[in-house]
Formats: sequence, C-alpha cells, structure tokens
Amino acid sequence: MTTAAVPTADSTEKSVRRGRSSRPATGVGRPGFAWAAPAAVFFGLFALVPLVLVVVLSFTRWNGLGSPEFAGLDNWSRLLDDPVMVKSLWLSLLLTVLGVVVQTPISILLGVWAAGRQRNRAVLSAIYFVPLLLSITAVSVLWRAVLDPNFGVPSQAKWLFGDGNLFGTQTGALGVLVFVSTWQFTPLHTLIYQGAARAVPGVLYEAARIDGAGTVRQFFHITLPQLRNTVVTSMILMVVGGLTTFDTVLILTQGGPGTDTTNSAYYMYQKAFKSFDFGSASAIALLLVLVATLVSLVMVRLTGYDRMRSTMEGV
Amino acid sequence: MKRHIRLLRTAVVGGASLAMTLSLAACGGSGDSAGGGSDEIHVLVYGDATNKVEKQLVDTFNKTSKVKAVLDTIPGADYQSKLQTIISGKQAPDVFFNWGGGSIKPFVDAGLLMPLDDFIAKDPGLKSHFLPSVFDTAVVGGKPYGIPMRGTQPVLLFSNKKVLADAGVTAPRTWDELLTTVKALKAKGITPIALGGGDKWTTQMWFQYMYDRVAGPELFQKAVSGDKSVWASADSRKALDKLKELIDAGAFGTNYDSVKFTDGGSPALLASGKAAFELMGSWEYSTLQDAYPDFVKSDLGYGPFPAVEGGKGGPDNLAGNTNNFYSVLKNTEHPEAVAEFLKLMYSDEFVKGQLSIGNLPTTTNTAKFLDGSANPAYSTYQYDLVKKAPHFQLSWDQAYPPAATTTIHQAVQQFFNGQTGPDAFIAAMQSLPAA
Repeated sequence: MTTAAVPTADSTEKSVRRGRSSRPATGVGRPGFAWAAPAAVFFGLFALVPLVLVVVLSFTRWNGLGSPEFAGLDNWSRLLDDPVMVKSLWLSLLLTVLGVVVQTPISILLGVWAAGRQRNRAVLSAIYFVPLLLSITAVSVLWRAVLDPNFGVPSQAKWLFGDGNLFGTQTGALGVLVFVSTWQFTPLHTLIYQGAARAVPGVLYEAARIDGAGTVRQFFHITLPQLRNTVVTSMILMVVGGLTTFDTVLILTQGGPGTDTTNSAYYMYQKAFKSFDFGSASAIALLLVLVATLVSLVMVRLTGYDRMRSTMEGV
Repeated sequence: MKRHIRLLRTAVVGGASLAMTLSLAACGGSGDSAGGGSDEIHVLVYGDATNKVEKQLVDTFNKTSKVKAVLDTIPGADYQSKLQTIISGKQAPDVFFNWGGGSIKPFVDAGLLMPLDDFIAKDPGLKSHFLPSVFDTAVVGGKPYGIPMRGTQPVLLFSNKKVLADAGVTAPRTWDELLTTVKALKAKGITPIALGGGDKWTTQMWFQYMYDRVAGPELFQKAVSGDKSVWASADSRKALDKLKELIDAGAFGTNYDSVKFTDGGSPALLASGKAAFELMGSWEYSTLQDAYPDFVKSDLGYGPFPAVEGGKGGPDNLAGNTNNFYSVLKNTEHPEAVAEFLKLMYSDEFVKGQLSIGNLPTTTNTAKFLDGSANPAYSTYQYDLVKKAPHFQLSWDQAYPPAATTTIHQAVQQFFNGQTGPDAFIAAMQSLPAA
C-alpha cells in the first residue's frame, strides 16, 4: 500500500493547497506520505530506537544498577546453550499454533452466524462480546479461581478433571492457557469475521440458491472464499498475540510447573525483572523478534498475502 | 560513550520509572528526593496493611524534626523489581524497606548503601536494642546495613485441632510421628498437609527446614557463601530422601501445584478441614483471622517444625524471614535525620503499634508489651521461639541474591512433583550465584 501511496504524495499536496486557495475540495486525494508522517515518527521513536537499544544491551552485562558493561557475545552463547530458552521458543510457537487452530474455526462460524438476521442474534452477539471487554488480568484471576482443584469446578466434576491438578501438569497448564485466551479473544476475531461476512455481496447467495446450493455448500463455496483476506488478517493478529502471550502466563501458571509453560515472553520477563539480567533478557527479546519475523515471512508466502491486490476501485 | 549509556538506561528504565514517578507523585509528598537540596527524606516501603504503623511513626518523627520524612509505598509483590529500577536513579529513596541478606547484596556491591557503623558508634542502641539473630541478617560482608523495622516471621506448622482430634492424632513432635500422623489422616480421607505449590516459595519452606534439621544450619551457610560442593554431600542427599519419603507417603495430596497460598487456596483447605496442617510463615495467623475468625478462635493450632532424629540441626532452629529492615542510601543528604528516624524503630511507640496489628517486633523491649498485642498467647509463643532459637535461617530465596530466585523456585517445584530427581536438584542449586 505504501508503494502505491508514495508517488501520489505530490499530487495530494497540490490538490490540498489548491483546494484551500481557490475552490472547495473536489474530493479527498489519495493517501500521501504526509498522512503517514505522524505514525512514522512515533514508530521510529517507540519501535526502532528501542529496538536498536535492545540490540546494544544484548551485548552487555547489566543488572539495572550502575552502567552496563560490554560482554561481547557472552549473553548469546549462554542463551543458545540454555535448554530453557530453546524450550521456551517451542512453547511460544506451540501456544501460537494451538491458538490459531482452536480460535479460527470457532470465530469464523460465530462471525458468519452473527452476520445473519436470525432472531435474538443481536442479543446473543452482545453476550459473546463481553469477554473482550474484560481486562485479561481480571479474566486470568477469575479462571484461576474457577479452576481451583478443591473449591472450583474440578471439585464438582471429578469425572472430567480427576484430582483437578490442571496447573500441575504441562498438558493441563497449556490447556488452560489456550482455553483462557480462546475465551477472551474469540469475540474479537468473531467481530472481524462478522464484518467481513456482511460485506459478501448478496447476489452471490441469490445465484447459488437459484442453482440449488444448500447452506453448507453456500458456506464452503461462497462465504469461505470471500473471507480469504480476512482469514489472513485475523491469523496475523493471532500469531502476533500468540507469540507474545505474557499476561495469562504470568497470572495463571507463572511459567510452571517447573519450566513447562515458560514461553519466551515470560522467560524474558523473568530474566529482566526477577533475575535482573537485562543483557540476557534483551537477547531473548531479539530472538523473539527474529522468530516473529520469520513466522510472518512464512505466513505471507504461504497465504499469498504478498500477491493480494486490493479490489477497491482505483487503489 | 557516557551519553550512550545514559540514553540506554533512560530508555530501559524509562517505562518503569515513569510509572514510579507517577505513583510516587500520586501518593502525596511531592518534591525531589535525594537530589535538589530539599528538606525531606524519602522512606520507601512495601505497601500493605503495616503501612498504618509506618505512617504513624513518620508523623511522630515530623513533629520534632526539621527535616521531614515522606513515606512512599510500592504496592504488591513487585516491590523488589521496582526498587531495583529506581535505586540508582533520581527517584532513589533515602531509606528503604528490604529483607536483608541477599536482597540487598547487589546494592551493597554497587556501592549504593551506607554501612551503619557510624550511626551505631554514635548510638549503640541501634544495635543493642535488637535480637542479635535478627540484626545479623542484614550484615553483609561483616558490616551492618539494616535496622529491623517490622515484625519477625518464623515459619510454623499450623494445624486444624478439630481435624486432628477427629482422626485421633496429636500434632507431631518428631519426623517419625509426622509420618505416622500422615498415614492416620490419609486413612480418614483427609489431605494431611495443605500446600500452595503454585506459589513455589511455599514449597521451598519444606526444603529450608529439612536441610536445617538433617544437615544443620552450616550446610546452607556454606552453600550461600559460595561452597557449592555441600549440595552434593551425603547430608544434602539425606535431606532430599526424607522429603521424598514424605511426598511419596501422599502427605500433600496430588494437586498441590494447582493450589496457591496467595489467593487463599491453601489456608481455605486448612480452615475448612480438608487438610490438617500447613507449614507457613507466622503471617498465616492474621491471614486466617481475616478470613475465618471463628476457626482461629476455636480450632487453630500452631507449633514448631518437627525434630528429626539423628539430624544435625536442633529442634529449636527456625527458618523464615527474621524481619524486614531499613537500609540507608549512601548519598542521602540528611544522614543525621535518617539516624534520628531509625531510632524510632526501637521506641515504645513502634513496638506497641506493630503489636496492635499482629506483628511481632524483634526489639529487646518487645517482651514488656506482649500483653497488649492482638493475641498475647500467640505473640508470646512466637517471641519465646525467636528468642531461644540458636539459629534463624533466612528464607533461601531471600538469602541468595535476586538473580537466584527463579532457579531455586523451579528446582524445588520440580523435585517436589517428581519431574526431576535429587541429582537435578543438586545441579540446579550448584548453578546459583553466591551471595
């Protein structure tokens, strides 16, 4: 989009100037670079500058007191030998994949359903969106209490939960993490899919109905293909959210049992604000940036996002 | 280069200190702290119910002092992290709360703290009015760096007397009795011991006492001062074996890692009679008093950790937090005012105030006022325990510097729930940085 916008910068400015001096604007010009300038400045200040500083910090030894001292590749070599680090990267990826796999189908179905005109739809949709309005911290504390083995739901449903040791096993703890983030974030993605499903032209369905296609066939042959761009958008959000999952881990599992749910984001926090080892923490942060970049490149390739063109006329 | 470093620090600490500045500004007392030549000293404390007494002492101090004290509080468990981000910067306090031992070691190493020798030389009371085993916790490298400023927190074995009576057992005095009691309670379908393993430091309490009883306090003393070989000693393995025996006997049930103390899970187990014991710091009393006053009145029992036959550590040894301390920053502009302020920590007013909210100060004049405490019997019991204890082991995660905490917590949890064996535990403890 930026490539399309840059060449038009001049014309936009001219038209704006002309608009001011002589006649009322004949219409809003295409987005020019000037439009992006504030965002670019903020991005540079709050994303690029810190990133560079983190790179510098990853080559130092610093516990937050006094000045950082240069440590060469020390942090990096220690990190690559660190089994917890390797495990934490896998856990980050696992949590991401599980999040996408679980949330995508649910939110597509809910979103398409919510785009319809059924009775009570509006009321039910409103209820679905409630989790989105709650703070993730509150949500985590709430679920921690609900899942307490002795006083929560597991104590009442022993046939399902056994002794209720959900946070004491890796499977259980990961399950809770995936469940809680699904519970909280599915509404967001449902909202996105709802919007997209409503934008599908009605004539397509009319034509399909005339041809005798049922609801299921309509869904797979019209709705789903039309949602393709939205799926990619929603998945990118999920991947970004999944890789940086932190608050739920902090409150629900604290990375435990042992290091079984210590994902990279939480491990970085532990290194920085529990062990006061800012050098290692910065190195972990950079590794996470690298992995995220890699993942998004792969996604862009696999989904054909790079070849997608806007269907908006004239852009 | 200097500028780069400053920029770097500003950026990293920026977020945290920005939040700090806001919150500090928000809780009254504006104006600069160390810098700026103001007539104030800033006292930074852990924000909780005890602040009531601290506020009162600050008011008392301000009545007579020309230099005014300002109390700043950082709420919650993030105290240590936030302290570390501000202590070398402009918002550094003049006096701050800590746990002594390893918790202040990095600050001492960075040359930020003032040794209190001069204060004590001018006013010997700053040392002589405190119980020695407690005062010594804040001695780093042979120099005193802290004045006790709250109540002592030994870890005790709390029990539900009704549950014990129903099962026909009494509180165990020895390790073997504990194992028998566990069997009897299990036969009754009760979880013998409540444990909030989700917090990890609660699990650590069992290690502290086992090592003390089996190997004596010397083992940990050596370990924390850098002799890593002791972790692999026969005594160390024996302590782990005994602990394993208790775990395998089902003393803690099977879901302790999903229970927490901090959200009231394990105290609820004890109070509701689903469990018979809980090993917890003396604050358990006020925690339970708050949530289950009826239970505390009629059925709450408390006693020392059982003795271990043939072990090297005496049954009177304690573990826990000896007390909290006030340490002083080297660059404070008003050392005389700070010295005057610290004197209040052994005043009658301080002792009475702490006792009235259930804390047990560790000054020599505490005994005089025990009758006026929230629960005289409990306070007297605790005071005698601390006074006669030959050794008071500071919690492991406070004795080691903060950098070790995560590793300790993971190691104790993994050994306890069977994810790792003794060898892995020993290796983890040997990897810790010395204090």
